Amino acid sequence: MDHAVEAEGLEREFKGGIRAVDGVDLAVSRGEVYGFLGPNGAGKSTTVRMLATLLRPTGGRARVAGRDVVAEAAAVRRSIGVALQDAAIDPYMTGRELLHLQAVLHGFGRAVGRRRAVELLERVDLEGAADRRVGTYSGGMRRRLDLALALVHEPEVLFLDEPTTGLDPISRLTLWEEVRRLNADSGTTVFLTTQYLEEADQLAARVGIIDGGRIVAEGSPAELKAQVGDPTLELALERPEEEVRAAEVLRRFGELQPSRDGHVVARLPGGASALPAVVRALDEAAVVVTGLDLELPSLDDVFVAKTGRRLEAEGDDPTHSPAAAAT
Amino acid sequence: MRLAAAQTAALARRSVVGTLRTPQALFPSLFFPLVLMAIFTGSFGSAPGTIPGFPPVRGFLDFALAGAVLQGILIGGTTAGAAFALDIEGGFFDRLVASPVARGAILLGRLAGGVALAMFQTLLFLAIGIAFGARVEGGVAGVALLLVLACLLAVAVSGLGIVLALRTGSAEAVQGTFPLFFALLFFSSAFFPRETMTGWFKVVADLNPISYLVEAMRDQIVVGVEPGPTLIGLGVVIGLAALAVTGCALAFRRRLAAAP
Amino acid sequence: MRHALAVSAGLAWRSIILVRRMPSVFLPSLIMPLFILVATAGAFRGISLLPQFAGASYLAFTIPLATVMGAGFAGMNAGMTMARDIEGGFVDRLVVSPAPRLTLIAGPLMAAAMRSVFTTTVVLLAGLIGGVGPPGPLETLAVYLLAVGFSAAAACWAMGVALRTRTIQAAPLMQVMVFLAVFTSVAYAPREVLTGWLHTVANLNPVTYLLEAARAAEFSALGWSELWPGLAALAGLLAVLGTWAVTGLATLGRR
Repeated sequence: MDHAVEAEGLEREFKGGIRAVDGVDLAVSRGEVYGFLGPNGAGKSTTVRMLATLLRPTGGRARVAGRDVVAEAAAVRRSIGVALQDAAIDPYMTGRELLHLQAVLHGFGRAVGRRRAVELLERVDLEGAADRRVGTYSGGMRRRLDLALALVHEPEVLFLDEPTTGLDPISRLTLWEEVRRLNADSGTTVFLTTQYLEEADQLAARVGIIDGGRIVAEGSPAELKAQVGDPTLELALERPEEEVRAAEVLRRFGELQPSRDGHVVARLPGGASALPAVVRALDEAAVVVTGLDLELPSLDDVFVAKTGRRLEAEGDDPTHSPAAAAT
Repeated sequence: MRLAAAQTAALARRSVVGTLRTPQALFPSLFFPLVLMAIFTGSFGSAPGTIPGFPPVRGFLDFALAGAVLQGILIGGTTAGAAFALDIEGGFFDRLVASPVARGAILLGRLAGGVALAMFQTLLFLAIGIAFGARVEGGVAGVALLLVLACLLAVAVSGLGIVLALRTGSAEAVQGTFPLFFALLFFSSAFFPRETMTGWFKVVADLNPISYLVEAMRDQIVVGVEPGPTLIGLGVVIGLAALAVTGCALAFRRRLAAAP
Repeated sequence: MRHALAVSAGLAWRSIILVRRMPSVFLPSLIMPLFILVATAGAFRGISLLPQFAGASYLAFTIPLATVMGAGFAGMNAGMTMARDIEGGFVDRLVVSPAPRLTLIAGPLMAAAMRSVFTTTVVLLAGLIGGVGPPGPLETLAVYLLAVGFSAAAACWAMGVALRTRTIQAAPLMQVMVFLAVFTSVAYAPREVLTGWLHTVANLNPVTYLLEAARAAEFSALGWSELWPGLAALAGLLAVLGTWAVTGLATLGRR
C-alpha cells in the first residue's frame, strides 16, 4: 500500500557534526493522524522540515504522497500543506489578503481564490476578523489562520509543527477539534509534532516518540502505555479500619502497592474490564468505598521507560489533569 | 565630592568601554565622515582658487576636515543617548538611582564618556588628515581650540539624546533624532563655503548655529587662531551645551519625581 | 508561465502594500531622495561656478543623482523585506508552495521598479518647483528607464545578500554598498573635474556611465553616444547582480 509519509534512515547533520535527526524510519498510512512526540531539541521540527521539502536530508530517503522529497520536490509541494511553528504570518496584511495570496501562489484564478478564502475563513471561524490586520489577532487566531492557509489547495497530507504551543487551553481545544474534523471529513493525513503528551494522546492514532534524533518507541497511545505497565487502582475507604480487609480483596486481583492512610492501591492487570469483578468482591466483603481511581500509565511513563527522563515537568501542560479517569 | 568624581569616572569608563565593544555603534561615526571627506576632496579638489567666494585654503582636504569632525560627533552623540536609553530599558538606570551613587555622577558619567570618545575621534580624524597632506595653521593652540569646540558639541548632542532617553525611555526614539542632525549638518556650511550659497538655502545656512560652529573649527585648521570667528563658534556651542545640560537636569528630576 | 507571472504580480503587490502600511519605511523612501536633491543642490551649488559647468544649473545636475538614489533605496528595501521574510518564516511558505523559485526574486524586483518610478516622479516634480522643467518625452523616458534599471540592480544585490545571510542585521551591508556605488561615481561633480583616487574609481564605476547618461537626458543633450555607455553599464550590473541573486536562491533549503 502506498503510504502517505515514508522515511528510511532519514538523517540531518548540521555544521559541526551535530546530528539533529539520526536515522528516522516512518510509515504513516493515508488518512492517519500521526503524532511525533518529543522534548525540545529532539529533532521533530527538523524532521518535518525535511519531509516538507524545506530542508535537504543529509542521509536516508523520504517519500510523501508517493513522491521522493528530494527528486520530486515540486510534486510533493502540490500535495502537502504546512503550518509551521513560527506561524509565518505578515502582521500588516489582513487574513483575507493572505488567503488570496496563498491561492495565487497555488495557481488558482481570482474567482476561485476568493471563494476558497470565504470557505476557509468560515471553517476556521475567522470570518469576523478576516479584514483586520493579522497583527491584531490573538495567538489562537493566528494558528487558525495558519491552518487555513495550509488548506487552501486541499492537500493530501498536512504537516503541523507544534500547533498549540503557547496557546491557552480554550484555543488549544478548538484547534484539536478542527484537526479531528479535518481528518474525519476530508480524510487528510495529519502529521503533527508536539511536546505535549495530552495532545498526542488526544489526537494521534499512532505516536512516534523521538529523542535525540531517533525514534525510541512507536505505536498507538494505548499500545505504548500497555507496554510500560498495568493500570493502577486506588481505593479510598469510608472506614479506615477496613483497610486490611480491602487489601485482602485487592490482593486477589493484583500486586499491592504502597498507599496512604485510608487508601489501598494495587496494580490491576485486567484494567477497566476487571473493575466489575473487583466491585463485586468488595461488596461481598462488605467494604465501603468512597472513591475509586483507575490510573493508566501515561505517555510520560512510556517516555521515562524508554529514555530514563521525564518528558515534561508537572506544570507544563495546561490541560493535563493529574488524576486521569478510567478509559 | 571626591566620591562623586570617582563615581563619574567609573561610569564614564563604562560608557566608553560599552561603546568600544559594540562596533556597529562606533563604526558609522568613523566610517561615514571619513568616506564622505574622501569623496568630497576628490569631487571638489579643483574648487579652491577657482571658484569665486571660496576662502583661501591649501587644498580641499584642509577645508573638509572640520566638516568630517563635526559629522563624526553628531553621529556619535546619538549613540550616547541611545545607550543611555538602553540602560533605562534594561533596568541599569533604576539600579543606579536606587544606589547611593551621586545623582550628578549618573548624568556626568555618560556625558564624560561621550566627550572622551569625541576627543579620540577628533584627534584620529586630524591625524588622518595630516597623513594625507593637510596642515593645521593654528598649530597646537588651534588643535586645542578644536578639541574644546568638539567636546562641547559632544556634550550638547549627547545631552539632547539623554533628555529624550529620560523622557521616552526608548532607544528607538533617540535614534529617531538622527535625521534631524543629518538635516542640520547638510543645511549648514559643514561641507562647502556659505559664501557660495544663494537663495533660501543660504538663509537657512546663515541661521543654522552649526554653520558658525564648523566655521570656527575650520578656521583653526585653515587660517589659524582668530578671535572673531572662534569666539562666535565658542559662544554658539557653549550655549547649546548649556541648554542640553539644563535639559538633562530637568528631565532627570522629572523622571525621579514621577517614580514610585 | 502564466502562473509565474500571477505569482510575481501577487508578491509585488504584497511588497507595495507593506511599504504603504509600514510608516517607518514609507516616509523615508519618499523623503530621502527629496532631501538629497535639496541638500546637495543647495550646499554645493558653488561648484557650478567652475568653467567646466558653463553656467549649467546645479539643480538640474543633481536631479539624476536624486532619481538614482531613490531607485537605490527602493532596491535596498526589496532586500530588507526579503531578509525580514526569511527571518519571519514567510519565505518558507513560498518555498513550500508550487510557485516557481524565480518568482521570489521577480516579485520584489517588480515592486522595486514600481517604487522607483514613483520616487523619480517625485524628484522631477520637485525639480519643476525649483525651476527646472523636465526635458523632452524621450529624454524623460530615458531618465525613468535608467532609474528603474538601477533599482532592479540594487534589489538584486540586496536580495542576494538577504538570501545568504538570512537576517535583517545584514541591512547595513546592503545599504553601504549601494551608497558607495553611487557616491564613488560622478555624484557631485562631472568626471573632468574629479581629482586623485576618485577620478580613477569613477572611471571604472558602472554607475558613472549610468549617471552621465541620465544627466545628458536631463540636459536634453542625449545622443546615442551618451546613452549606450549607460545602457551597457546597466546591462552589466544587471547581469552580474542578477546572477548573484539567482544563485542565492539555491542556498534556500541547504542550510
